[in-house]
Amino acid sequence: MEHMSIAERVVRGALIVLVVIFFLFPIFWIFLMSFQTNEEILRIPPGLFFTPTLTNYSALITGKLVTVSGTLDIAFMKNLWNSVLLSTASVAIALLLGVPAAYAFARFKFRLGEDIAFTLLSFRFAPPLLVLLPLSLYFQQLGLTDTYVGLIWVYQLIALPLILWIVRGYFEDLSPDIEYAYRVAGHSWWRTFTRIAIPLAGPGIAAAGLLAFIFCWNNFVFALILASAEKQPVTVGALAFVTASGIQYGQIAAAIVLSVAPTLALALYAQRYLVEGLSLGALKG
Amino acid sequence: MSEVALSIKGVDKIYEGRGKGPVHAVKNLNMDVQRGEIVALLGSSGCGKTSTLRMIAGFEEVTRGDIVLEGRRVNQMPPARRRVAMAFEGYSLYPPLTVRDNVAFALKSARMTAKDVQRSVAEVAHILEIEAILDRYPTSISGGEQQRASLARALVRQADLYLLDEPMGQLEPRLRAVLRGRLKSLLVDRRMTSIFVTHDQTEANALADRIAVMEGGVLQQFASQKDLRERPSNLFVATFVGEPPMNVFEARVCNGDRVRFAIDNGPNLDFAAPDVPSKVRNAIGGQEKVVIGVRPHAVRLGVGPGNGRVVSNQWLGDQSHLAMEVAGKLMVAVTHAPIPARVGDNMQFGVSASDLHVFDVNTAVAISHGLEAA
Amino acid sequence: MANLEIRSVSKGFKTGKVLDRISLTAENGEIVTVFGPSGSGKTLLLRLVAGVEQPDEGTILLGGRDVTDRAPEARGVGMAFQNFALFPHMSAFDNVASALTAQNAPRDVIRAKVEKVAALLKIGHVLQHAPRELSNGQKQRTALARALVAEPKILLLDDPLRNVDAKLRYEMRLELPSLLKASGSTVLYVTQDYKEAMALGDRIAVLSDRDFAHIAQPAEIYRKPATINVASLFGDPTINLISVEPLASPAGPKIGIGGTLLSLPPGYAHMAGRTCVLGLRAEDIAVEDETSPESFPVEVLAVTPLNERTLLLLRTDDGGEILASEAGANEAPRRHGPAFARFGSRAVLLFESASGRRIAPQAA
Repeated sequence: MEHMSIAERVVRGALIVLVVIFFLFPIFWIFLMSFQTNEEILRIPPGLFFTPTLTNYSALITGKLVTVSGTLDIAFMKNLWNSVLLSTASVAIALLLGVPAAYAFARFKFRLGEDIAFTLLSFRFAPPLLVLLPLSLYFQQLGLTDTYVGLIWVYQLIALPLILWIVRGYFEDLSPDIEYAYRVAGHSWWRTFTRIAIPLAGPGIAAAGLLAFIFCWNNFVFALILASAEKQPVTVGALAFVTASGIQYGQIAAAIVLSVAPTLALALYAQRYLVEGLSLGALKG
Repeated sequence: MSEVALSIKGVDKIYEGRGKGPVHAVKNLNMDVQRGEIVALLGSSGCGKTSTLRMIAGFEEVTRGDIVLEGRRVNQMPPARRRVAMAFEGYSLYPPLTVRDNVAFALKSARMTAKDVQRSVAEVAHILEIEAILDRYPTSISGGEQQRASLARALVRQADLYLLDEPMGQLEPRLRAVLRGRLKSLLVDRRMTSIFVTHDQTEANALADRIAVMEGGVLQQFASQKDLRERPSNLFVATFVGEPPMNVFEARVCNGDRVRFAIDNGPNLDFAAPDVPSKVRNAIGGQEKVVIGVRPHAVRLGVGPGNGRVVSNQWLGDQSHLAMEVAGKLMVAVTHAPIPARVGDNMQFGVSASDLHVFDVNTAVAISHGLEAA
Repeated sequence: MANLEIRSVSKGFKTGKVLDRISLTAENGEIVTVFGPSGSGKTLLLRLVAGVEQPDEGTILLGGRDVTDRAPEARGVGMAFQNFALFPHMSAFDNVASALTAQNAPRDVIRAKVEKVAALLKIGHVLQHAPRELSNGQKQRTALARALVAEPKILLLDDPLRNVDAKLRYEMRLELPSLLKASGSTVLYVTQDYKEAMALGDRIAVLSDRDFAHIAQPAEIYRKPATINVASLFGDPTINLISVEPLASPAGPKIGIGGTLLSLPPGYAHMAGRTCVLGLRAEDIAVEDETSPESFPVEVLAVTPLNERTLLLLRTDDGGEILASEAGANEAPRRHGPAFARFGSRAVLLFESASGRRIAPQAA
């Protein structure tokens, strides 16, 4: 790093700026769109300067959309609440199940352990559409269609493998000696798990939880098929803006901004948390 | 005939801390290494020796000052261009290559025929006793073997300077004495200018022509092993060099017919005035308090003005370490025969004038060594 | 009744057996050092006694009771790990106290005991710090304090001085024996440093090649090692080993070194004709300029200092290399070149080549 010339530094900086613009531009544009009326959005050429309006946001929040052809009810706030409920509950259950499982995988070497772990991970590889059709049939038979319980259960397919694999890695990174020391000091393995392993893997567990939350929040296909309008999260709810009287781009943009805001905030917050990291100063050096 | 191969002039290294404040790792270092000389950078962890080595290698930038290698100022030169061969901790072997190929890789840029490359590799492998593992892969050999292979890779090259970071740290104890001898012969025969970092004094003593003792980023003394042991320039060097470390006590000086060092809370050591040259007495000057030191091997047991209670008596096969409580501290004596003393016994001891070191109590600088002024 | 008993314990992994039916007893209050090269299974042995690993066969008895199937928390031992294994998210105080909180002792009792042990180990002033703020020496003492605080009957110390710098290691080597004796515990102390083993142990158990090669007091292990392996593990520099075949002669058994016939003590007469290995420690070989009875010619190849001794690398007439060490750092360094080496009859150690076992001289 110390040996780069000025020219190299300038080129490097320029490239970074270009990459950043490339990735952030869509979000920036949508943000702008959310403050524009439909007419302004559809204007050609698109303009950067306009008078911002809050009608899109107010429509979403009040739940009423005034259009040329009449007033429409928008269930966006209900969708937002569904997203929060589904994601939070799914992650909570996934953590409850996944963290002890991750510990078991990390510490107790049993036959087929690696195979079982990989099978669980493979659930993430399979395209959801593959399982959706048979799953919706089963759900109907079990009476789980259009229930929160059913959705939360299905969301485990997203959250559980993630938490398992990330948290297992953190547990494996913990020196077993620290846990042995606690046990030899006289504590049972359960106390060792709760007082030593979990606190020390804390950042990892939090990070995995956050990541799982984001993935659950972004899920579209499960809720689309297995839930009705009442239980839909924001991802599906956005479809409602494609109305008979035209596509309300302004509201879509505002809905997107509101949908993305929580996960964006969480991700930024988590980034700091993750960087703190584990300081295993208890080991030599 | 020797010329200066490496010159370090007024070098400082300051690390910008993250939240903790800057760390001044190396302070105003000045050192000249002659061509063909073997130099050890010796000190405990955090003393600045590794930072110094890394600056010479080019892995760290110099904050102030210059590093001059064979007459060229190399501050801005990247490591690859400095003609320096390195064996660093963490500078590990390439896993996909066998040990033989790893070592031979170092000779890639040298214009040598394949036969000559193999010959050089075989030679260095023989010296470091890695012939048996030449065709194994780095992941399948022990830590000690990896270290020897890494050393071989550095030593097989033709370079202006060889930099070794704790070259023998991982080696099995049985191998160390033999390999040290062989390594030293190799370095001396081929006049390879080398600098190595170590915290092990035995290693420094066995390999180096001169040893640079560092502490807190400051070079304490740069001298041969003999000088460091017999004429340490300050209290730090005196207590750092030597295993077991030098016994030191604060004492009051009384000059008269006899020169008396009255150890605080301890015995008095008297020396007849003629035994202590006037130069030394002048050097001590009007100081009332000094720090005196005597090496464990120089403590005479059984008779003498001093006495202490025996705290431990350890026979280690070829030498005996006896620790006594004197003036509230532990004083260690080493002899080459077992000492019939039990814990709790009272033991007398004495010191001859030629074995006494005196240091300034405020500056810790040496005042006299034995019968000579420092 | 022995306080600690290891009976025929074996333990292996996929890569092979590490310990093969080893047995060891330690009396109440005894300090037994377990010494051996790296990878010999010393740490594994401690873990088996602590209950962190289970043996494949054999039993472990603590205080006379069979604990082989007991969980670690039920064994009542104190253990200090090589890499300290302090709990990073707790203060030093809580680290040390963890051995007492398991027993649900009242807070003031815990405080008193922790402070007492901390004073003994001179870490009283850093008890409120987190482990990452402590120096290596302080971490090591905290780990020791944690092992000692509950006054366990059995103390397991896994190379506690290994990761500490040389000066501190030496200091602790002087202080540890009285500290351990004062605790009254039976101690198993693992180390790779033979000097530490000799300095600290009432007895040394030498672990090599999956079993104990020799269990005895330090002086006996150094003077009368049971095997060639044990002999070469003790002593710096390593003991000289020379292949010889004793000859019977009217003047007693003789061996040849570089063409010169030298006398062996008469007790070895029965080894005539057998292939043996002669062991001579460097400090028992005297190097002189003049020949004398029982001396043999050598060439001095190299002179290097080693601590406060001088090491001489010698070559015999038949090309063998041996090391001799002289006391004192040489003022006038010996010149390289021809010289004569001599050893006394008391220095002789004779081993049988095939088995590696030491031959005891037979009484006349």
